Amino acid sequence: MIKVRNIALTAALLALPAMSMAQHAISDTIRSERIVVKSTQFGASFMDNLDTYLSGYKYTGGGLHIGHESFRDARTGSYRWKYQILFNSRIGAALQEGNVQIAGMLGCSWSGYHPFKVCKGLTLLAGAQIQAEVGALYVPGNGNNPASAKLRTALAASGMAIYHFPVLGNDWVARYQLDIPLAGVMFAPQFGQSYYEIFGLGHAKGVVAFTHPLNCPSWRHMLSLDIPLNAKRHSTTLRLSYIADLYQRNVNNIRCHMYSHSVTFGFVRTILKVKKENTIKAYSPY
Amino acid sequence: MLTSCIGEESFENSNSGNFEALWEVIDRQYCFFDVAEKEYGLNWNIVHDKYKPLAEACEDDAELFKVLGDMLGELRDGHVNLTSMFGTSYYWDWKLDYPLNFSDSIQRNYLGNDFKLTNGIKYTALTNSAGTDSIGYVYCGSFAGGFSVNNLSMMLLELKNAKGLIIDVRNNGGGMVTAAESLASSFTKEKIHCGYIRHKTGPGHDEFSEPEEIYLKPSPGVIWLRPVVVLTNRSVYSAANYFVMLMHEIPHAFILGDATGGGSGLPLNTTLPNGWSVRLSACPMLDAKGNDTEFGIAPDMRVDISNIDWLLGRDTMIEAAKMLISEYYDKKAEEKAQ
Repeated sequence: MIKVRNIALTAALLALPAMSMAQHAISDTIRSERIVVKSTQFGASFMDNLDTYLSGYKYTGGGLHIGHESFRDARTGSYRWKYQILFNSRIGAALQEGNVQIAGMLGCSWSGYHPFKVCKGLTLLAGAQIQAEVGALYVPGNGNNPASAKLRTALAASGMAIYHFPVLGNDWVARYQLDIPLAGVMFAPQFGQSYYEIFGLGHAKGVVAFTHPLNCPSWRHMLSLDIPLNAKRHSTTLRLSYIADLYQRNVNNIRCHMYSHSVTFGFVRTILKVKKENTIKAYSPY
Repeated sequence: MLTSCIGEESFENSNSGNFEALWEVIDRQYCFFDVAEKEYGLNWNIVHDKYKPLAEACEDDAELFKVLGDMLGELRDGHVNLTSMFGTSYYWDWKLDYPLNFSDSIQRNYLGNDFKLTNGIKYTALTNSAGTDSIGYVYCGSFAGGFSVNNLSMMLLELKNAKGLIIDVRNNGGGMVTAAESLASSFTKEKIHCGYIRHKTGPGHDEFSEPEEIYLKPSPGVIWLRPVVVLTNRSVYSAANYFVMLMHEIPHAFILGDATGGGSGLPLNTTLPNGWSVRLSACPMLDAKGNDTEFGIAPDMRVDISNIDWLLGRDTMIEAAKMLISEYYDKKAEEKAQ
């Protein structure tokens, strides 16, 4: 068994130069079921939050954004699919005429796409996405309703456009992604219901609401640019991103919006997975 | 559809804008319009017309704060306040027109110097002149902090030789309803139905959820099943009013004193365009018979501190409570003898 494994490993290592040749185009669009592209992003966020459970007026401010993406190719039957796992977290503070609000959100999504090659360098991807988000808006001065908890999950339509273009002989990659939640469920207290009644007395009837584009018209745009910094060694790829997360809802007569605009940067790491249990780094910019 | 924005209220940060914002947030979220209309004929639209020109004529924020505070006073609700850099507006008349019925100087004659203190609760054992019988005296002046089961259990164990307990919540202006529940749960060994709670489901004055039952569950700690007398006055408000509502359903508890001040609406907060904070009653609580307790709970026995007792430094209510507990045992002895 060990022998077989060693042979497979050796074969994979021998194949590496060939793979490295292919790294010329390594990016999100590389068509190999064994390549995973990962990137962790750090940046700053502008926030604009409204939640009429806390106040009828919006709080604006800023904070930190940390995101992580894992994007991989996979072969399912005779079709090629691409999968994306995305984590986005934001924490920050916002103000309304001197009143302070602390906001923290953690979101996760899992997407599956089918790619369509449109022309040289341009690929469109269409697919579905499962979103989950948890967080809270906290206003310390708000007595019995200091916080508004956010907990939701949704099925979303997701699309992506990936464009490769040469700059000074290097392969730059621009990518745009759009996610639109179509149906889901969320935690939604009634108009004047206190958390004491929900959690203290256990009167939780009706606090889970069905969401759809009419009561929750939201979307998320992501724009990124992958810039190879040392193309000859394929060693470092910088990613610059802009994320506009425009979440809104009007459920149980409580209006809420959470608009965030984040600018992030990070490095892209590409991993070649030979077998499930044996992961070999094709190269790493780190 | 996707470009439609869910935005904030459209009021400007001006005298007129802040006035309209305050009037509307109360109009949409306040929960006692029906009770206030029945009680003293409140018409919120007339209030709007009365205060709008006053608000618009204000020359500075201090003046506006006074006018808006006065407008909130029309609700006659101690839970409705406006808070800004100028302070907090309060409606006090719910207690100022009533007898005080409490003196901490007189209370000192009963607590003495050896009283014990746990989680803000002062307690001692009151003994008769012969020193043979004792009655536990517990003063709870606030529910602002929580009570731990261990602390309450230790207190009741310390008073284990007392034949009855006086729980004095006079001048208790409230705090956390969970603290009130913790204390009340020490007096029942079974889950009992104590009232109802509702909440607003929309901005209309009559948009309410169906009343949901409130149950008091027994404490996991020490349970006191001997007679309990709860002392009340008009300054018992909010969470303390809720405590009295809970104790009212406990068979071996007796409410003695003056009617409580009320304040049965669980308050929620919001803000105005200029950042001033508004607190308002949002979730009405009803007693076990479905009656509103916003304007207070009547005692089982009305007792005021008499003028003579004020002079003598005697607390008429504590004396009446001691007598009630003694009478309970006398009756029990008689029944046994028969």
